[in-house]
Amino acid sequence: MPGGPETPRFARRPIPARAGIGLRAPHHAAIVRDRPAVGWIEAHTENYFHDGGPGVRALERARELYPLSLHGVGLGLGSADPIDREHLRRVRDAVRRFEPALVSEHACWAHVDGQHFNDLLPLPHTEEAVEHLAARVRAVQDFLGRQLLIENLSAYVGYATSQLREGEFLAAVVARAGCGLLLDVNNAYVNAANLGLDVERFFADLPAAAVQEIHLAGHSRRAVEGHELLIDDHGSAVPDAVWALYAQALRHFGAVPTLIEWDNAVPALEVLVAEAHKADTILRQVHDFAA
Amino acid sequence: MISLPEAARSLGELQREFARELQSRPASAPGVPTFSVTHQPAAAARLDVYRNNARQFFRTALELTYPVVRRRVGEEYFRVLAGEYRDVHPSRSGDLHWVGAAFPAWLADRLAGTEYAWLSELARLEWLCEESMAAHREPALAVQCLASVPADRVEGLQLRLQPSLRSMSSRYPVWSVWQANQGDGDAAPVDLSQGPEHCACACLDERVTVYRLEAGQARLLDALAGGAALGRAVDLAEVDASTLAALLGWAFSEQLIVDVSPSVQA
Repeated sequence: MPGGPETPRFARRPIPARAGIGLRAPHHAAIVRDRPAVGWIEAHTENYFHDGGPGVRALERARELYPLSLHGVGLGLGSADPIDREHLRRVRDAVRRFEPALVSEHACWAHVDGQHFNDLLPLPHTEEAVEHLAARVRAVQDFLGRQLLIENLSAYVGYATSQLREGEFLAAVVARAGCGLLLDVNNAYVNAANLGLDVERFFADLPAAAVQEIHLAGHSRRAVEGHELLIDDHGSAVPDAVWALYAQALRHFGAVPTLIEWDNAVPALEVLVAEAHKADTILRQVHDFAA
Repeated sequence: MISLPEAARSLGELQREFARELQSRPASAPGVPTFSVTHQPAAAARLDVYRNNARQFFRTALELTYPVVRRRVGEEYFRVLAGEYRDVHPSRSGDLHWVGAAFPAWLADRLAGTEYAWLSELARLEWLCEESMAAHREPALAVQCLASVPADRVEGLQLRLQPSLRSMSSRYPVWSVWQANQGDGDAAPVDLSQGPEHCACACLDERVTVYRLEAGQARLLDALAGGAALGRAVDLAEVDASTLAALLGWAFSEQLIVDVSPSVQA
């Protein structure tokens, strides 16, 4: 099994139970220059596949300052098509190069018959899909030589064939693959609105010890055929209702490293940092209260 | 090899059905039986979110690679071009950075014989910039490294250039068009009949730099990049010593030369 480099380039720094921010291209220079007081950073793995270039150099500099999580969006783990070996090799190269403390991907599918939709498409919550996704996660973990966190999706449709609740589905994947979970609280909120997800039941179904990271983001509202649909677009501040659900999640899962995701209409770095500080405040409040 | 589990077969059928729904225009009739929703809107309308995502993600990747082409043709026409291009060259990878690789050649076919044929050449330059952005940077040699080389050995020297260096020649003045469209203001008009231009690009810092070259310099650079020693490169490019001196001066000053062989003492 391929492992990491013999001599680490970066200090081994675990992700602290604090808030972090997603590293996006408009902030590459500012984050190194200003060194904002955030606990860690997360980068989209596919944005750093290149051999070099400004983005790769920026992440190397940022990695010297912060613990890092690498978050993949392109493997399409639940796709019935074979895994893209070249893509997986590049993930492994990025993991070796940047030495992240956490590596994550999504419980989704993305490509079929060679065509890639470059989206996080939902899986049916069936025994068949559990077995398939767990096998894929095990294979990827073996290849990378480390544990993967799997993130719950936001979805706009469910499947008539689903037999399991979403939380049961993810719990079964964790049990069979030995992976961890990345809990996206905004996705749970969006699914509650769009698909009637019972969030309390969802939290209760998840194996609490497996939840190693939380995502927070904003969503938008779109009128579709006269009815409202929430769109998980990561293009705005975390709404109050999602902050409330976040506090609920912390009470359920404990103090978990939390990321502010803001991928579209990316604001000034100070805005992101302020959102992270708000998450830190809630983390402290809930944690102190629990203690 | 990670094999396809037996259990994935029916999952594959479901995913093919989902894909057909995403590719259908317009959406299939309401009540797509595979999908289940607890309340309105209906599944067929909800699938539009995924249809839009697939189109938008693809188009955005293309826009990021071809900002000058997009600026020249405008948002609406670029949207049309991106849609047509995607029909012929759909994404095959989870990494969207390379989805535009075939765009210049596709554009050349699409616009052949029209007054916009030059756009494919502009796209070619932007693709070279994209490649340049992804390449690693090597430490550059200073021109002083040549000081210790005996005069009779200079002709036999081979240069290795920065991995990010790319060059092209065009029948159209694409360097001028590219340059005129770098600011936020209105682009200065470029006379497209002014003839061929030659250019090179490299990325050593935070952005790509695009250089204009003379025809002889471009031929010489191509010969050097192809591995020809200095003397042979001058012959291939059919240039004189002054062109060689000018090109070497530019390449050293821009930190584009990373190795010389046989090795010389820096």
